[in-house]
Amino acid sequence: MSYLRNFEYFEPESLEEAVKLKLKYDPEEAKVLAGGVDLVPRMRRRQILPKCVISLHRISGLDYIESNGKSGLRIGALTSIRSIELSSAIQRDYKVLYEAVHQIASIQVKTMSTAVGNLCVASPASDVALSLFVLGAKLRLIGRTSERVIPIEDFYVGLNQTSLRPDEIAAEIILPSSTAQLSCAFLRLTRTATDCPKVNVAVTMKVVDNRCKNVNIALGCVAPTPIRAQKAEDKLRGQIPGEKLIEAAADAAAEATKSITDIRSTAEYRKEMICVLTRRAIEKSLNMKGESYRRGDMQ
Amino acid sequence: MSKQIAKFNINGRPYEVLIEPQTILVDLLRDQLDLMGTRLNCGVGECGACTVLIDGKLNLACSRLAITATGKDILTIEGLAKGTTLHPIQKAFAEYGAIQCGFCTPGMILSAKALLDSNPNPTKKEVQEALAGNLCRCTGYLKIVDAVLAAADAMGKGGLA
Repeated sequence: MSYLRNFEYFEPESLEEAVKLKLKYDPEEAKVLAGGVDLVPRMRRRQILPKCVISLHRISGLDYIESNGKSGLRIGALTSIRSIELSSAIQRDYKVLYEAVHQIASIQVKTMSTAVGNLCVASPASDVALSLFVLGAKLRLIGRTSERVIPIEDFYVGLNQTSLRPDEIAAEIILPSSTAQLSCAFLRLTRTATDCPKVNVAVTMKVVDNRCKNVNIALGCVAPTPIRAQKAEDKLRGQIPGEKLIEAAADAAAEATKSITDIRSTAEYRKEMICVLTRRAIEKSLNMKGESYRRGDMQ
Repeated sequence: MSKQIAKFNINGRPYEVLIEPQTILVDLLRDQLDLMGTRLNCGVGECGACTVLIDGKLNLACSRLAITATGKDILTIEGLAKGTTLHPIQKAFAEYGAIQCGFCTPGMILSAKALLDSNPNPTKKEVQEALAGNLCRCTGYLKIVDAVLAAADAMGKGGLA
């Protein structure tokens, strides 16, 4: 039997009500519960001891993947990662997100966990976040009196820290209109397939006549938040990349890292592997080596 | 602690239980309802031993507050057999020696059921992927995968003879 420390528990029926409840407590003391795969185990381990838990599960209309043609696609606060994986719209138009969620975790965890909840945990290892970084996703945050839409990169401010204000709840992810024309790659290095990654890399780029345009590269597990490898992107933008340029871009990505050593890997190994995975991800995006870099080849 | 009455439909049977918001689903099943088939192992959602089906979907009972499953249909391993007649997946696990210590078996079987419910003729790779969230430290998975494939075959032919 595992006892959770006592907390007050609420099941609001609207986001407005949830926001009001959240405001009654100190920001650190009120936790919002969506899928629970992060919060509940951490409460068990006494890593988080909230005074108040606000479950969103009674709020209807938060579980959706809605495509609005030109204005893009929206993913609700209670949409599970498994629903994203099984969505034909995501598979077709947001391939890098599909590749990320298809590779990660177990079906059990994906069925329970929500994408928005995953972002709110603000882990630098989030595969979901990385793919949203390179897709240029935005987040809609609902506050007590107003709401705002911010780029996902502005949501992450530090390790497990977001720019969510005390009176705000993250309500949905907004993806730009179809990115089906983009080339992409999502690669991760883990101990076992369902583990949290040691490092992960996401790339999207528009390739016209072998020339790179709109290059986006995001790196995970190598800084307090997911990061963009801007210098690596700059090297590729507008170029027709050959082996040397790709190598230089991969080196630039490794230089952008501020890795630490922890239970999953060492700082040195992470830096080395960012170089390798970035090179492979660029090559895969350019369709140079295509299918030869599935996750199984890297374990 | 504010206890409240919560209703569940577990293994086709209605339950009304007094629970606290802090009650975790696996503890409700095991300690309050004596449904010991759902195992508690890692407690952090990594091993899959506590797998149950909620409204037909795979869930981890160790990572879910029971109160959030109020009113739902929950299937545990105890709900699979009909009287003394085993479910074809259970039968296949026994026939193929896919059980050693048995600790992971309930979760394995429920993950297999969720797979076969949505995909009655899976490939070997699909079975492996479907069971990726269930760890077994004894058998090495080969017999487990064989058993699921055999169960799929048997269920396609209307049961395991």
